[in-house]
Amino acid sequence: MIAITVNNLSKYFDPPKRGKKRNMGAKGPRGINSTIRAVDDVSFEVMKGEIFGFLGPNGAGKTTTIRMMTGVLKPTNGKITIFGRDISKNQIAIKQITGNVPEEANVYFDLTGWQNLTLIGEIYGISKKDRINQAEFLLKKFELYEKRNLKARKYSKGMKQRLLLCMALMSKPEILFLDEPTTGLDVQSARIIKQLIKEYNKKGVTIFLTTHDMEVANELCHRIAIINRGRIVSLDTPENLKKLTQEYKAIDFYLTNGVAKSEIANLDTILEVQEVREGFHVIVENIHEAICEIVDFIKQNNLVIKQLNTHQPKLEDAFIKIIERGGKN
Amino acid sequence: MLLSKSLKEVVKINKEFLIVEKSKFSSFITQIKRSFIITKKDLKVYYNKPPVLIQGIFFPIILFFSFTVGRNIASLYLISGLITMVLFLTSTSMGPIILPWETMRGTFERLVTCPISIRTILLGGIWSSFIYGMIFSSIPLVIGFVFLSSELVFNLILVIFAMILTSLVFSSFSLIISSPSSTNPGSTMILQILIKFPILFISPLFMPVNSIPTAVISPLTYCVDLLNIGLGDVSAFGTFGLLFDIAVLLAFGFGFLFLAFALHQKTLEKRFRG
Repeated sequence: MIAITVNNLSKYFDPPKRGKKRNMGAKGPRGINSTIRAVDDVSFEVMKGEIFGFLGPNGAGKTTTIRMMTGVLKPTNGKITIFGRDISKNQIAIKQITGNVPEEANVYFDLTGWQNLTLIGEIYGISKKDRINQAEFLLKKFELYEKRNLKARKYSKGMKQRLLLCMALMSKPEILFLDEPTTGLDVQSARIIKQLIKEYNKKGVTIFLTTHDMEVANELCHRIAIINRGRIVSLDTPENLKKLTQEYKAIDFYLTNGVAKSEIANLDTILEVQEVREGFHVIVENIHEAICEIVDFIKQNNLVIKQLNTHQPKLEDAFIKIIERGGKN
Repeated sequence: MLLSKSLKEVVKINKEFLIVEKSKFSSFITQIKRSFIITKKDLKVYYNKPPVLIQGIFFPIILFFSFTVGRNIASLYLISGLITMVLFLTSTSMGPIILPWETMRGTFERLVTCPISIRTILLGGIWSSFIYGMIFSSIPLVIGFVFLSSELVFNLILVIFAMILTSLVFSSFSLIISSPSSTNPGSTMILQILIKFPILFISPLFMPVNSIPTAVISPLTYCVDLLNIGLGDVSAFGTFGLLFDIAVLLAFGFGFLFLAFALHQKTLEKRFRG
């Protein structure tokens, strides 16, 4: 069963006024940027019970897409249907069966955690008894029950994000839209949120999430669409996306003393290099030659190697490859 | 087996949709009810915000003294002028900051994705501004009633009706001020001062209605006139007449309301441009 259908979706914005920085844009007459194509002809389907990830760099069009899907922005072109109903004609009904955690959203600081939850319950028309039961259940599940009477301004960022997720789940939604749900969170909060996303998905909730965190996408999503410059450049399962880089291998090595990234990048066998804590993550084609060259370089520069691991490239490597390929296209 | 599970899901979701997709009238009533929930939230969150306190409480006190000190003002004009001024300043103090504040704090997007329309959110703001205005403007009414009841004839039904009508008009007006898609309540405060003060100065506060020629364009004039009638104006029908005052205030009210709806609909997307 198809939960969400997005057909030829586009969103163009007028260019910012003078003095504001311009993003990407279509060249209009006289070479002036006439419109900003935040989302450009995007189409995909999300099946019921699926966790669908929308992955892309900053400014790729993830948030604009999710805002159109949740009725915050009107598409310039295209159509979105939720369980077969056109969102432009059935907004209130669709919002009633969906839950949403926007990226830049926040809870009411002047209300307690409990008041924030019951407010949303009231807006969704949930009866008082159900509101109390559901609020109690969610606060306990998200480990916020002890702090329920504390004003939300005293909550940590992780607690606020958990409370936002509780608010989205108050109405027991069929579809959950999550915009960067774990970005900037402490380990404990991120772990709780990821666990609960999996749990609710097992109960049949369809989840559409945007993220730029590869680990989150890899761990949670059944399918991933990669978006760049407003266009979908790839859509597949995480495993299939990783296969795009199967002819390559990855090497991680850690050194006791520092060395410039540019020096590693200059080695002949290294295709890509990424600096990680006390070491480097590199992509190579011939692993034997690459290891020899790296070891020679370390010897010549009197460096000491602490650890060296080889493995298949991660989703992140596939992502970079797809984005670069998209950019060249 | 799979097909029957899928069919069950389709039936379940269609049932959920049917619960929500009721008749237009029933949906309208639901939205009105939900606007009261927004009102409750607005009153809880915004009643003590500094811009609301400055515009709604400090300004009326300062302006009252600056208008009245050293002048010999008849009790009738003193009370009608004070009630009108307090009504105007308090009813327009909360509305302009709600949406910029919510946009700035990131709570507005959460609200917009709830099953309520932007009109419901705005209507919630109008009710909360109305309640705030009524609470504070009842203070000069009580003072007048206690200390000046011997000098004035209090037709309380008419006075309270005038206050309710005028407070709703000013509450609708306050939403027009918040329509520019600002995320900064401070800039809305400047706009408030730029718009509200000239209106105050062209209105016949603490003086006879016909003493300022430009007064006819100010909605405050018709409130003062209605209150004058309710407080025992000798002419009994005020300067413009009871029905004319009510008609003009209704026209202002609906005009402000629809203008606010249209302007907010237009600027809504600008609040969410990254």
